[in-house]
Amino acid sequence: MNPVPPDEAIAFGDAARSAFESLGGVDLARSAETDGDVRQRALTTLERLGVPDLDVLGDADSLAAAVELCREAGRVVLPAPAAAMCTGGVVAIDATTPVVDHGDLLPEWAGVDVATGVVTAYVADGSRFASRLGPFATAMKATDRATGVDSHLGTAWMVLSGAVLLGVVDRAIELALDHVRNREQFGQKISEFQAVQFQIADAVTAAKGLRELVNFTAWRVSIDIDASISDAMALRVYALDTARAVLRTTQQLHGASGMCDEYDISILVRHAQPYLRLPFGVERTVDVLDAAVRTHGFAGLFPHGGRR
Amino acid sequence: MDFDLGDRAAQLRTTLRSMIEREVPAGFLGAFTNDPNDLAVTQRFCKRLAEDNLLTWAWPVEYGGRGGSMWDQTVIREEMWAHHEPRGAQYMGLNWVGPAVMAFGTDEQKAFHLTAIGAGDVIWCQGFSEPDAGSDLASLKTRADAAPDGNGWRINGQKIWTSYAEMAQFCVLAARTSTGARKHEGITLFLLPMDRAGITVQPIKSMLGRHHLNEVFFEGVEVYENEVLGAVGDGWRVIRHALTFERVGIARYARCERLLSLLESELAASGEEMSANVRALFMRALIHTRVARLLAYRVVHQQEIGALSDADASAARIAVTQCDQFVAEMLFQAIESDSLRDAKSGAPIYGAIEDHWRYAQAATIASGTIEIQRQLVARAALGGSR
Repeated sequence: MNPVPPDEAIAFGDAARSAFESLGGVDLARSAETDGDVRQRALTTLERLGVPDLDVLGDADSLAAAVELCREAGRVVLPAPAAAMCTGGVVAIDATTPVVDHGDLLPEWAGVDVATGVVTAYVADGSRFASRLGPFATAMKATDRATGVDSHLGTAWMVLSGAVLLGVVDRAIELALDHVRNREQFGQKISEFQAVQFQIADAVTAAKGLRELVNFTAWRVSIDIDASISDAMALRVYALDTARAVLRTTQQLHGASGMCDEYDISILVRHAQPYLRLPFGVERTVDVLDAAVRTHGFAGLFPHGGRR
Repeated sequence: MDFDLGDRAAQLRTTLRSMIEREVPAGFLGAFTNDPNDLAVTQRFCKRLAEDNLLTWAWPVEYGGRGGSMWDQTVIREEMWAHHEPRGAQYMGLNWVGPAVMAFGTDEQKAFHLTAIGAGDVIWCQGFSEPDAGSDLASLKTRADAAPDGNGWRINGQKIWTSYAEMAQFCVLAARTSTGARKHEGITLFLLPMDRAGITVQPIKSMLGRHHLNEVFFEGVEVYENEVLGAVGDGWRVIRHALTFERVGIARYARCERLLSLLESELAASGEEMSANVRALFMRALIHTRVARLLAYRVVHQQEIGALSDADASAARIAVTQCDQFVAEMLFQAIESDSLRDAKSGAPIYGAIEDHWRYAQAATIASGTIEIQRQLVARAALGGSR
């Protein structure tokens, strides 16, 4: 038993962090909304880091490295499809309303329909939404091209998108800590108020839980890929619940500043939305988890669902 | 990265489950009921464990244990709690009184107490909390004044919330032998026989059930030099050491998971289905139990490598106790009006869900309130500046 990721994976994450910070950190996401070249630079950086060489299904260490990279991508809401780059352009998708974040950035995609497991080729259907909450979200259309990809890559994408949300959550908490340590009201730092401390404690506790669950789920994928659809869905539910709660709390702790784009928390909240809403939101994810548990069971101390 | 506890731990789990199946009757909900048979079950079970050298599995070999790893201990904690702690009140002696005696006891104390605990012969209670010293334990006021004849001390004061006090043969009692500059100074721990004159136990009627909560009054109770654990006045250090054994806390998630599994079996047998909304709660309950277990495992791993993070331990406590209450409420949603029945009035799963809900209400209070745990997590995150 060892819950710690391998050293190589951590080193890979460290390299990714340096690369993303040298590109400007959260500023990269900020500028990508108006500067068309920025996302391409982020994509090139992922390629230079060796992301296309990762074999996330064939090699547990590769998956662990991808997890660390995606976490770092989440910390700066990197304006590029980090999780999908790790799976070779494969994403989980809702075939009835296919939308992909940065769908306009790659010429071809493979989408694994979450409900059926069917893999379909997709291309962008028009330009990105360019909205505040989905600046790079793009409607997709199916094509007849045979993808030849392993549908389990959709499961891996689920795990990696959970890692992205872990990075978002970690960064949001750091930003809030920095703010409450410095902001003074009623003659004291607002971190002195127990009401603030308790909100911090709950956010930190949820983030610690998400960190463990991300690593555990990656391990499950590496040892039992078929059954790990239950694990990936469970991670997604917990990641969505945690990220929504933590982003709300940390933005609240920023006061009105938290709504302003000059503050990183605002960029984080806006740019994290595609990870929270695609392929669909948490309550439908719970339904899919339910179906997966009925079929594949749920690993634990006692039997559940399909494997009794 | 590997979340498998290993073959040895898996084998231990299998051994414990078979023993529980053989020795513990179906429908056993712990020793703290009004049925004297339940207490008898736990006493018998501890003896059986002792015979198979399983009772002190986690203790060092030099004290008669098997030198079980942190993960072996985790398996024992999980299996015992999942199956309603068939060791009864004796878990306290095994989990921390014994190890504290090993660390601070005299040779005489070790020989006497460790033998008794290891044989499954003795029940301990913990005399720490007082009416005005709960979370703020160091404010305790129970006094141990020097005896007029110079032989030991006389204890006067009151303890409260003392579990198992009625059935215990011994109490680890924290009392003030002097008043220091700081409130943590001047506290001494005593290994006190509960049959000594001047001790009165008053059960507190509560929703938790019999034996869980008691008041204990001390009036001129004699206690002697050879009953001091550690040095006189150094009790706070002993308490802190003892509490490190409690850092991982009770494996509440294990009982939660077993009850969720039992509910599924019960529904499958009767052909019933949960409604979609309750099923959604059930899914989140499974997730919470997994996250709670993983956070507890992180703390065990830290203990194993000697790098315990207090904040991680507190975060695990928060997650585990909140999981307990979430699952309790989820299970009540599933059984609807049957939640009002208990074991005697025909509750599902022999009353285990009803028992769990009542007991879970205290989860965020017992062994350190959730408010204190939150404060510890927040302080660590804020870098000590609060």
